[in-house]
Amino acid sequence: MSNSRAVILFWQLAILAAVLVIWQWGFDWSKALLPKAYVPKILDPYFVAKPTLIWQSFLRLGCFADAGGFTACVTGNDNNLWLATLVTLKNTWWGFLFGSASGIAAGLILGRSDFLARVFGPYIVALNSIPRIALVPLVILIFGLGDLSKIATAWLVVFFVVFFNTFEGTRAVDRDQIAAARLLGASEFTVLRTVVIPSALAWVFASLLPAVSFALIGVIVGEFIGAERGLGKLIIEAEARANASEMMVAIFVMMFVGILLAIAVRSLQSYLLRWQPQFEPSA
Amino acid sequence: MIAAPGQGLALARDEGETAAARTRIAVQGLAKRFNASGREFVAVDDVSFEVKQGEFVALLGPSGCGKSTILNMVAGLLPRSGGRILIDEDTVETGKVNPRVGYVFQRDTLFPWRTVEQNIGYGLEIAGLPRAERAGRVASAVEKAGLSGFAQSFPRMLSGGMRQRVALMRTLILEPEILLMDEPFGALDTHTKLEMHKTLLEIWERERQTVLFVTHDLGEALTLASRIILLSARPGRLKEDFDVAIPRPRDPVAVRETAEFGRLYSHIWHSLGEEFRRTRAD
Ligand SMILES: Nc1ncnc2c1ncn2[C@@H]1O[C@H](COP(=O)(O)OP(=O)(O)OP(=O)(O)O)[C@@H](O)[C@H]1O
Ligand SMILES: [Mg+2]
Repeated sequence: MSNSRAVILFWQLAILAAVLVIWQWGFDWSKALLPKAYVPKILDPYFVAKPTLIWQSFLRLGCFADAGGFTACVTGNDNNLWLATLVTLKNTWWGFLFGSASGIAAGLILGRSDFLARVFGPYIVALNSIPRIALVPLVILIFGLGDLSKIATAWLVVFFVVFFNTFEGTRAVDRDQIAAARLLGASEFTVLRTVVIPSALAWVFASLLPAVSFALIGVIVGEFIGAERGLGKLIIEAEARANASEMMVAIFVMMFVGILLAIAVRSLQSYLLRWQPQFEPSA
Repeated sequence: MIAAPGQGLALARDEGETAAARTRIAVQGLAKRFNASGREFVAVDDVSFEVKQGEFVALLGPSGCGKSTILNMVAGLLPRSGGRILIDEDTVETGKVNPRVGYVFQRDTLFPWRTVEQNIGYGLEIAGLPRAERAGRVASAVEKAGLSGFAQSFPRMLSGGMRQRVALMRTLILEPEILLMDEPFGALDTHTKLEMHKTLLEIWERERQTVLFVTHDLGEALTLASRIILLSARPGRLKEDFDVAIPRPRDPVAVRETAEFGRLYSHIWHSLGEEFRRTRAD
């Protein structure tokens, strides 16, 4: 009985409650009870805010506490929480989409052609050795402070991850399965469509899950370094005002965005790979 | 070429195997050399034989003697190093698929991301047959393979025997006139193997495809084939050629009781035994 769902849920909620309680009152209590040297600095609301403060910041940034009403605030303020989230989400999505589409295409082409793989191999290894973050200022210089530079940054991060996995997956396709398809009448293109792609898909998806988090990281870093809008910009602005609770709001929203994107990729994965035992729909 | 001792005994030749039947597969002086780490390695050396319309020929030989290599060259999957192969008077070109030829692999080559139904229907699907027309033919093939309850299952949910039946149907649904089979039942247990022999005999005795069947299992060759071509140990050379005059329809268990089975079994066994000893001596 000790590991039934109810017991697990109980402990999960208990831990959450304990964290929230310590976060909210831990600093005040320890200041009242402990000698000054033992008061944990990490709990200082100046640095980490407090759940109640974060909630108030959330209401304010989210236009719930605005005197002029919700709609006026959302449309009037050009970096409110909703707009910022939408901008970050949109740039993450396009960066992820372009990055993975081009990564898959390049991986398939080089995976199927020994000649091209040999020619481009060293260039790809060289480019992949550059820490992507080092390129962000350059990307912003080229594409400006707008959305395009964020999409380009996410693309840079996603492309290589997806490319390498697709390439390996294409290389690992069973030669006899390809021969079997040929003998059943498949053309080169049909083999690609009906054997190589489905067979490499497991490898592709193994990279898409990290890729979607990388895309989000790419966009946020881009926004840190130079942006007009977005969650990263929100954090930078809050930092300038030393407002920890607003930073926390942005961080929590990013967490939710990350979770939502991961769920979306995962459910697509378990549908497309339902022939594999680990994605078998549980009865 | 070596004289074939079996030919004198070919009293009860089946219909469809008469001397007038046309030649479907002609292999002439076939050779294959591989380059194994710099050294040339002869896998197949000067092999010639013919397969006539409606014949079921077993290519029998010890493991590693080049049976798969010969079959792959016949299918056009592998370039040859010497000799000629004709199918219906046309020279086989490597890489070019002949739609009259079906091939069943030694290894499991089902597509794991397709259901039983989609695997069987693959050839028809890529040929662009309309869905409605396809569905009928696939359903009857699923039924013929005895897989009625498993049409929607993925291959990994099936036993080895069921998977091989799917592979067989995936090829047979395209109605090939010539069937090349590379130890299709090699990985199955004895009981399942006998079941598969029964299935294949039923299909062949009804449809009379021209079959070239590779095996190293003497009992299997005698059960199924009308003729057995015996290959020597590496490098593969033609050793002997026997007619199997066991009347049809055959039952995979009952054939073993016939006098012809026993006689051929002990004769070929001794011949094969020499080859196995040669393989070991290498
Ligand atoms: N691609 C290759 N490169 C080098 N040598 C090869 C290659 N393919 C096969 N051979 C060699 O050729 C010989 C014949 O191989 P083949 O697969 O035709 O044997 P087989 O008679 O089908 O054996 P089995 O009954 O075990 O399947 C073997 O010794 C094998 O090692
Ligand atoms: Mg073989």
